[in-house]
Amino acid sequence: MPTDHSSDGSIAGYLKDESKVLNAQIPRKRRSLTELLKEEHPHVVCNDGSAHFFKRKELEYLSQMLYEDERNSLLLPIIMEVTPDQSGVTIRSKGGPEAKIFSKILDMTVVSKENVITIFKPQLNVVRKALKTTTQYVFLFRNL
Amino acid sequence: MAKKVQVTRPTKIELARLKRRLKLATRIQKIVKDRLSILIMELLQTVRECASVKDRLLTEFSEAYRSLSITTGYHGYASLKKELLISEMAPKINAGTRNVAGVRIPFFEIEKADPMTSKRKNMADTSSFLDQSTELSKKCLETIIELAELQKSLELLGMEINKVKRINNALEHIVVPGLDMTIKYLTMKFEERDREEAARLKHVKLLIEQREAYAY
Repeated sequence: MPTDHSSDGSIAGYLKDESKVLNAQIPRKRRSLTELLKEEHPHVVCNDGSAHFFKRKELEYLSQMLYEDERNSLLLPIIMEVTPDQSGVTIRSKGGPEAKIFSKILDMTVVSKENVITIFKPQLNVVRKALKTTTQYVFLFRNL
Repeated sequence: MAKKVQVTRPTKIELARLKRRLKLATRIQKIVKDRLSILIMELLQTVRECASVKDRLLTEFSEAYRSLSITTGYHGYASLKKELLISEMAPKINAGTRNVAGVRIPFFEIEKADPMTSKRKNMADTSSFLDQSTELSKKCLETIIELAELQKSLELLGMEINKVKRINNALEHIVVPGLDMTIKYLTMKFEERDREEAARLKHVKLLIEQREAYAY
């Protein structure tokens, strides 16, 4: 009788690899908008060691929207959490400049509830169109 | 069609192992599906942008050529060539990468030349026609770079979507149903064994009762 000797390790390993690939773009350290605006080539270093560059146009667009203190508190890239079985993505915001940015981009009131902003998938298109390099997806494995 | 996973021995430990594998496979499938939907969304957006940038590029090209032909007519080919050779500058392009859901996408941005350091044209020999042509050509160049970025993104996203789709299909149509089928098969086998065991016990009980009856 042919037997299957492969262990659960293969699937577990695959899950690990998949999560590594998916979340390779997470920056090691996020940087403030003010800091990035001063740089010649604004970028952050990702988990896999690669560099993620920001478009100057986008940074300037963001800086136009915000006041000086908000520019200092806004950390880039803005992380958008994707959780399975949810209709939208969540954004963690401590200071609130993110809510202001999304309100302006979506042209509607976006409220941060307990430091969390929820954006639905149809709105995600609009946000990603305006902020291609200054937003990043993170895939979460909880709720599974 | 899903095939039953071949197991070494139909034991309870094997069943528990298979159940764990099924749970893991379902987890992976959910993540892969999410990634696929995000990638498709990005691809569609890139396609839309690509189409609009292409249209814009065509308009800009026609405007630039029209302006250049007027300028050539005004200055003459030889003097225009001389002026352009003097003020010619290679564009500086910043190239890097950005990551979209695990796909590394190229990123190009044209560096704006400093007007104080850039080579200037002779103001006495040139006209506003030439300035206008230069501006329009610069716009064309910026749009070409933007289009190059979008086209490459499109290609990379398409390739990744194909790969993820294949993984998703394999999980959805082969791995998960196969594990499901094997778990069902093992469960049925255990139930059958339990039934046989119960029947055997009944039979033994009957035999013992008969023996006791004969003894009296």
